[in-house]
Amino acid sequence: MDNFQALRAQIRAYLIFVVLIENVLLVGGIWFVVKYLNVSLDSVALGAYGVSVIMTFIITFAAADYALIPLKAIWQAIVHLVPNESGVAAPDINKMVVGRTLVASLTAQIYQIVTVAEHSESVAFKRSSDLSANFIANNLPLPLLVLDANQTILFANTTTCTYLGRQSNDLIGQNLYSVLNMSFPSEKTLDSWLKKTKESAVTASQLWERVRLNVTDNQPTRLFDLAAYYNTDNPQHYETLLVLFDHTAQYSQDDQAIGFVALSVHELRTPLTLLRGYIEAFDEETQGKLSPELEGFVAKMNATAQQLSAFVNNILNVARVDNDQLSLQLHEEDWSEIIKSTVDMMSLRAKVRGISLVQNIADGLSTVGADRISIQEVIANLIDNAIKYSGASKEIIISTKLNGEGLIETTVQDFGVGVPSAVLPNLFTKFYRDHHNRAQIGGTGLGLYLAKAIVTAHGGNIWVDSKEGKGSTFSFTLLPYAKLAEETKNSDNKELVRSAHGWIKNHSLYRR
Amino acid sequence: MSIETQTLHTNGKRVLCIEDEHFISELYARALGRRGYDVDLELDGQRGLTKAQTNNYDIVLIDLMVPTIDGIEILRTLRDPAKTPQLKAKLIVITNLEQREDVRADIEKQADGYIVKAEITPSELADILDKLK
Repeated sequence: MDNFQALRAQIRAYLIFVVLIENVLLVGGIWFVVKYLNVSLDSVALGAYGVSVIMTFIITFAAADYALIPLKAIWQAIVHLVPNESGVAAPDINKMVVGRTLVASLTAQIYQIVTVAEHSESVAFKRSSDLSANFIANNLPLPLLVLDANQTILFANTTTCTYLGRQSNDLIGQNLYSVLNMSFPSEKTLDSWLKKTKESAVTASQLWERVRLNVTDNQPTRLFDLAAYYNTDNPQHYETLLVLFDHTAQYSQDDQAIGFVALSVHELRTPLTLLRGYIEAFDEETQGKLSPELEGFVAKMNATAQQLSAFVNNILNVARVDNDQLSLQLHEEDWSEIIKSTVDMMSLRAKVRGISLVQNIADGLSTVGADRISIQEVIANLIDNAIKYSGASKEIIISTKLNGEGLIETTVQDFGVGVPSAVLPNLFTKFYRDHHNRAQIGGTGLGLYLAKAIVTAHGGNIWVDSKEGKGSTFSFTLLPYAKLAEETKNSDNKELVRSAHGWIKNHSLYRR
Repeated sequence: MSIETQTLHTNGKRVLCIEDEHFISELYARALGRRGYDVDLELDGQRGLTKAQTNNYDIVLIDLMVPTIDGIEILRTLRDPAKTPQLKAKLIVITNLEQREDVRADIEKQADGYIVKAEITPSELADILDKLK
C-alpha cells in the first residue's frame, strides 16, 4: 500500500510539474507576442486558447502513457509467463522512472507464484511416480487418490483414471476440487472435515454416503460413498487418502424408484387434503351428537387420514432429499413449545390405539435453531414409529434436555417389540434398500431415513438404542440457537436456504 | 355467492377466497364462517381480481391455479400501484404446487403469506387468519 501511495504521489508530482510548465510557456508566449510582435490582445487570447487546448491533449496523452507504464510492466510479466506466448520479453524494471519499487515487488510475486506452482507440480509428479511403482497402490481395484496438505492430487491409481475417464497427467498436480466437483448430502463436506481435522488431529478417518460427482461434459453422473484417511505424520507428506466406492447403479435406481413413487403420490395430496377437511368438519359439527362408538370411529378416521398424509409427506420429502431439494430455513425456536405442539398433533393417533404420550421436558431449555415444519416431521416420525412398534405396551415417553455436550437432546422411548440387532445398522437407510429386511422393518426406514437427513441438515445427530422385546429409544441432538448463530457467523453459508413449506409474514404460528 | 354456514358469532372480517376447486372453497368457507368470518367465494380469476380491487375485504386468499387469470397474475396486479390503489387486505397465496424460482420470489415479495393446502386443515387455516393483525 505504501508503494502504491508513493506511486500515486510520483504521478501527481509529475502532472503538477507538467501543468506548471504548460502555464509558464503559455503566459510567456502571450507576453512575448503582445510585447514584440504588435498583435492585438483579442487575437492573442484566441491563439493562446488554441495552443492551450493542443498542449492539454499532448500532455494528457503523454501522462496517460507515462502513468500506465507500471501497469504495462505487470501485464508484460504475466504474459511472459504464459506457456504458449512467445515473443513477449520480461519487463525491464530498471528502465522505469515511476513506481519502480511497487512494480518490482509485484512482478517478483507473480514470478514466485508461478515458480511455486511449477515446483509443486513437479514434486507431485515425482511422488506420484513413487506410488505408481507401488504394486498395491497402483492396482487397487478401487479408485484411490492421494492428496498433499494443499489438497493437490499427488497420486491417482489406474482405476481412478478409468473411473473418471481422465488421464493421470490431467489429475496429478491439480487441485482436487478443480478436478472433482462433488456434492455432499449435508454441509459436512470433505473440505470442511479436512479443515476441522487439520486443527485438531494427527490422524482421522471419515466416510460419506451418497456423494454425487457433478460432471459437465459427456461423462455420466456418478454416485459413490467416499472414504477418507487423514495423516499428517508421515515422511512422504501423503496427507489424505481417498477411496471411492461406486454405487451409481444402486443409488440411481433408488432415486428413480422414489422419483416415480413421489410423482404418483403427489396426486394423492389433493384428495387427502379434502378427506381430512371433511373429516374435520364432520367431527366438529357432530360433537356430542354421536354415540361414543361412532365418535370413536370418527377419531380413528381422522387419525388414519393424518397418518396417511404424513406418509405422503415423507415420500415427497425423501424425493426432495434425494434431489438435493430439501431446503431448510433455521430460525430461533422455543423447543419445548415445538415438542408440546407436535406431541399434541400426534396424541390422537396414539389415543386411538390406547397409547399415552408422556412428556418429560427439562425446565429452562435454551432456544434451538430449527426449521419448524421439518423438525416437527422428525418428532412425528419417531413417535409414529414408536406407536407402530409399541406392541402391547401403552406408554411412550418423549423427553428433552440439555446434554453433557451442550446440545439439546431429545429422546422418544417405547417399551414395545424393539429392533433386531441385525437390522440396527440399516435402520436409517431407505426401506427398499435392503429387500431382506423389508418384511422385518416394514415402511419405517423411510421415515427414519428422512429424520436422519433433516437432523443432519440441522447440524445434529440421530441414533438408536434398542433391545429386542424391551423397546427402543431414538435420540437426536439439535444445536442451541446461540451455538448455531456462532457457527453460521464463521461460515460462508450465511443465507440459510428456503423451503417449499408455507409461511406467513410476522407470524409465529406458522412460519416467519 | 355466499355460502350458508352456522355462524356462531361474527368477527366483522370479510374474506375473499379465489379458488376454483369447489370442495376446497366449501370447506374453507364453512370453517371460516364458523369462526365468524364473512366469506365470499369466487371461482374465476378475472372476477376474483375485480372483486379484490373493490377493497371491500380484509383478507384475500388466492389459489395459484384458477381459470382466466392465474393467481400469480392476480397478485402482481393487486400489488401494482398503476393498476390497483393501496389495498387494506392481506393477500395470502394458497397452493399445492412447488413454485418456479421467479414465481416464488414474487410471492415472497408481494404476498403476506403462502400456505400449502396439503399442510393445513380448514380449522388450522382459521387459526392462522385469526392471528393476522
